[in-house]
Amino acid sequence: MGTFNIDRLLTWARIALGIVFTYAAFLKVSMSWLTFAGSIDAYKILPDWAITPLAQLLPWLELALGLLLVSGFAVRWTGLAVTLLLAGFFSAMMQAHFRGLDIDCGCFGPGEKIGANTFIRDGALVGLAVCVTLGAFLRRNTLLHRVQ
Amino acid sequence: MHKPALAILLMLAATVAAAQTPSQTKSAPKASPAPAAKADAFTLPERASGKKDAPIVMEVWTDFECPHCKELYLHTLRRLMDDYCATGKVYLIHRDFPLQGHVHAREAARWADAAATIGKYEEVTEALFSNQEVWSVSGNIEPVVAAVLRPADLQKVKQVMKEHSAEIDAAIEKDVFLGAQTQVNQTPTTKLTEKGVILSVSPGNYPYATLKSYLDSQLSK
Repeated sequence: MGTFNIDRLLTWARIALGIVFTYAAFLKVSMSWLTFAGSIDAYKILPDWAITPLAQLLPWLELALGLLLVSGFAVRWTGLAVTLLLAGFFSAMMQAHFRGLDIDCGCFGPGEKIGANTFIRDGALVGLAVCVTLGAFLRRNTLLHRVQ
Repeated sequence: MHKPALAILLMLAATVAAAQTPSQTKSAPKASPAPAAKADAFTLPERASGKKDAPIVMEVWTDFECPHCKELYLHTLRRLMDDYCATGKVYLIHRDFPLQGHVHAREAARWADAAATIGKYEEVTEALFSNQEVWSVSGNIEPVVAAVLRPADLQKVKQVMKEHSAEIDAAIEKDVFLGAQTQVNQTPTTKLTEKGVILSVSPGNYPYATLKSYLDSQLSK
């Protein structure tokens, strides 16, 4: 019964994470990529030549990962990719904060400054992604043991 | 794949596909009556670069004390003026948006706008941004402007500031008003329009290579 509940919980967590990713991607792809390029440049961690391709590709990558999470296809590897991506976003926000950059997060489009709210939200998302990924890997191992 | 998951997937994909169109076709907000009719003399064409009939119109709201505006002007807009405005591809309009916390930004905008009346807007603007760290602390703007103008031109600018201060302030207010209509709430903010259709309203700075890539993609359509 306990395992069943955890499975259910992880499934809902995966779908929630997928919807958040899809929504963030939806906002970015529905606006000009120049706007997102401005958000990326504000972090001052990438060379100029990397900003344009990243601004054009990242929203579509987020969209693909979000849809994969919602669909439940290749959850382990999608979860791992989402975890790494979110950890990257979180690190970028941390470095911006500690360098004293007063900039937009750019997570859901422009207009949201980096601050306590963005740290709490993104920290929670990283935690959720770790749980979904670990859950997917552990579940697979358990199933393999049962088969053996 | 489970059927419910597949249904959710299809719904999300359809929503995202539908969302591709609106921002591209969003029309410009209808302009309300301008706060002051006289302000036009200090707005266009003196504070613009390029040809009015260029395919892309770029409006940039800046604050002279804002470091990101300085970076955008010196590293991106200067090159844009040479490569795109001079060649008739882009019509660049400078708009003032002095922020509340920047105590000398409005005065700097007055100097630049007054200089525009004698065709020296770009020279004064470049000097103001290049020496931002100096005058933004001291509040002493005149020496910075004097360094790039001939004494006779400086006198003309000072005379314009004295005799037309109300019109200059009205021009600044008009820019702020237009910015508010465009939902500008930070500087710099760039609005790109092509044949009356808004392409983007982007807050923040971006490298010249990024802007070039974007403009080239729009111009090649």
